[in-house]
Amino acid sequence: MIQEEPRLSAQEMIERLESSLSKRRRIRAVTALLAGLVGAVFVTSLWATEPGPLPGGTHTAFAVLTGFCLAWACYGGWVLTRRAPLFATERVIAAWIAVAASVTATALVTAIAVIRGTGPLPPLAVGALFVAASLTLAWRAHTRRAHLLHLKRTLGG
Amino acid sequence: MTDELLVVNAQLGDRAAVAELVRRWRLPVWTYARRMLDAERADDVSQEIWLAVVRGLPRLRDPARFRPWLFIIARRSVTDRLRAEYARAEAARPPEEPVADDPAEALVERAEVMAGLAGLPVLEREILVLFYLEDLTVQECAQICGIPAGTVKSRLSRARRLLRAHLTEKGYRP
Repeated sequence: MIQEEPRLSAQEMIERLESSLSKRRRIRAVTALLAGLVGAVFVTSLWATEPGPLPGGTHTAFAVLTGFCLAWACYGGWVLTRRAPLFATERVIAAWIAVAASVTATALVTAIAVIRGTGPLPPLAVGALFVAASLTLAWRAHTRRAHLLHLKRTLGG
Repeated sequence: MTDELLVVNAQLGDRAAVAELVRRWRLPVWTYARRMLDAERADDVSQEIWLAVVRGLPRLRDPARFRPWLFIIARRSVTDRLRAEYARAEAARPPEEPVADDPAEALVERAEVMAGLAGLPVLEREILVLFYLEDLTVQECAQICGIPAGTVKSRLSRARRLLRAHLTEKGYRP
């Protein structure tokens, strides 16, 4: 019987998996997700705090911009859940970037609301939700990484 | 280094550990795919399996269960390609038979399995490949195929009988 072999060598197989393992792809996806979310919150808050009635065209422009930001956020989320999920250490880094982005966006949007005289409470409430969500992600990421590091030590690695 | 430690390192983000897992498990995965499919499809499915493994690895909860998890993914990809064949086999599945302990029957040789596999129906072929060629336990086979351990045993028993009959028909003598 002729001994059959796979067409691809181990090295060739690893090379074909490069794009799914690429750190650059993960960074791009995290950037798209966070920038999309922060952008959507920012544009929506500008839209909501506009003093006086807006012409129809301006409403459309705000809606299109918000949709554009959400589309990028969805793309980033899709890549991170379906195409290139984050490994434990990357999840920790991404979660802290999300915390920083949430805090910055909350401060920015609250400042705009105060300048425009619409009151800081609504943006602070929405911002607090984002910060709480990102802190929860950071806590879960740290727990998971700590569990894996403990397992690694137990296994003698 | 054990598979479990490699998986933990890979889940922490060590790309070299992922590469080592591919090196270590490339042939067993391909062998499973090849015994279930023709050569060309086996190569395509192997790539598909590894892509799904790399994408799913960060979410694997228990690194000690890597082997059955890997073959669950492999089976899913193979089942996708053989959907019609599996549907036919499931429809024509005979009632579950009681399994009598028969040590002689358990002594099916690897070479015998290899020689007769191609002529067997898909469900029996699959269980023989997993149990004899991949050295998985009955429990692991049950988990991979999504059936109770008792069904694995009866399916194995039927598969061995079919294999013997098929090999005898071909004039094969152990």
